[in-house]
Amino acid sequence: MLIAVSLPKIAGGVVLTLKLLVVSLLTGTLLGIGAALMRISGNRLLAWPSFAYSYVFRGTPMLVQLFIIYYGLSQFEWLRNSMVWPILREPFWCAVIALSLNCGAYSAEILRAAIRGVDQGLHEAGRALGLTTRQRFLFITTPIAVRLALPAYGNEMIGLLKGTALVSMIAMNDITGVARTIVAKTFAPYEIFIAAAIVYLSITWVIQHGIRLAELHFNRYIKK
Amino acid sequence: MSSAWVESFLWGSLLIVRVFSVALILTVVWGMLGASAKMSKNWLLRRVANIYTSVFRGTPELLVVLILYFGSAITLTWLVKLVNPDVKFVDIPPFWAGALAISLIVGAYATETFRGALQGIDAGQTEAARTLGLTRWQIFAYVELPQMWRLALPGLGNHMTSIIKDTALLSVIGVEEITYTAEMATALTGKPFSMYMIVAGIYLCFTTLVVFSVARLETRANRYLVKSR
Repeated sequence: MLIAVSLPKIAGGVVLTLKLLVVSLLTGTLLGIGAALMRISGNRLLAWPSFAYSYVFRGTPMLVQLFIIYYGLSQFEWLRNSMVWPILREPFWCAVIALSLNCGAYSAEILRAAIRGVDQGLHEAGRALGLTTRQRFLFITTPIAVRLALPAYGNEMIGLLKGTALVSMIAMNDITGVARTIVAKTFAPYEIFIAAAIVYLSITWVIQHGIRLAELHFNRYIKK
Repeated sequence: MSSAWVESFLWGSLLIVRVFSVALILTVVWGMLGASAKMSKNWLLRRVANIYTSVFRGTPELLVVLILYFGSAITLTWLVKLVNPDVKFVDIPPFWAGALAISLIVGAYATETFRGALQGIDAGQTEAARTLGLTRWQIFAYVELPQMWRLALPGLGNHMTSIIKDTALLSVIGVEEITYTAEMATALTGKPFSMYMIVAGIYLCFTTLVVFSVARLETRANRYLVKSR
């Protein structure tokens, strides 16, 4: 009963959760592409910082990253007096920065693995056809790597969705934040939290189906 | 004065090790049960295991921790009140509720890892074992388990770092691990950045330790394999 009543209220948090998810996914993917290109560049000065970035952000909890950005940066007075402070003061942008950096670190690894997974014979065939390195990368490696990266990328999207729940820890009203506020008032944790979980599971389901459709699209040339 | 929070970080780190140990054991238990259920001939078991993995892989970790701790507290309080109406609040100790929540989440991922590992064992191996007259349990313990261990290790390493990282969530239910320490120490020192950077550094040490240990175990597990190339 309470589940039915609380669902519309929780729906209010869905907008914020989806906003965080979409914005962080876009910037995170761009970061990930950049970091993956740096890793495979063959230049150690580019590859090493990219490796360190992935390693640190994948090796520490996202909650701690979020706290460093949201609570930690206020320690520096020069930063508080600078032009970027109006952005860094906002929980929303702190959350977007933390989520994007995290998503970028994982996407970089996924893309790197996908690029490495492209059959070596295809490169050789491309070279035999007289394609330049850039042409080979754009027309041979990229389309195949995208196809190979899709399943892992779908999991990363779901991981990011679950990560957005952490913003309730910096007092934002996303799905989990709204649920926690209602629980504090009604003290009915089962109903409210399970209602919130159902909302998350529905979003997860939509993502999974979207990825499946995309896989079908990208794999359409592959014989069964 | 300053040594007080340094010591708290040490105790908090020790607590992470304790949560990790308990959660890892439970994760392997849920993972093995889940994998067996998914591969069983009984459709009901398969159904239950599928629901388990999709629910726990699709719900945010924070929400699972909250549901398990506050949900169990409400239920327990209600039960105890039936016997003794004067009791105000009873809960599962946050340590156990937290370790259980983490293990259930990571156990859902481990289910898939273990299932993949069991399916990855050459069918000829189990057939040979059956021909030799080994019982089902013997086949599992002497043929399947040693071989699936090798195949499951890389995945299990990832799950272990997940367990480590998920312990950071437990400050929300009052487990006094290092994220909680940092909050207290910030109030004392007024240096949130330094305090949370210490936390990040400790976590990075833990995850690095896990990654290196698993790499060592992998070389050990693969020592009988002839190297190709």
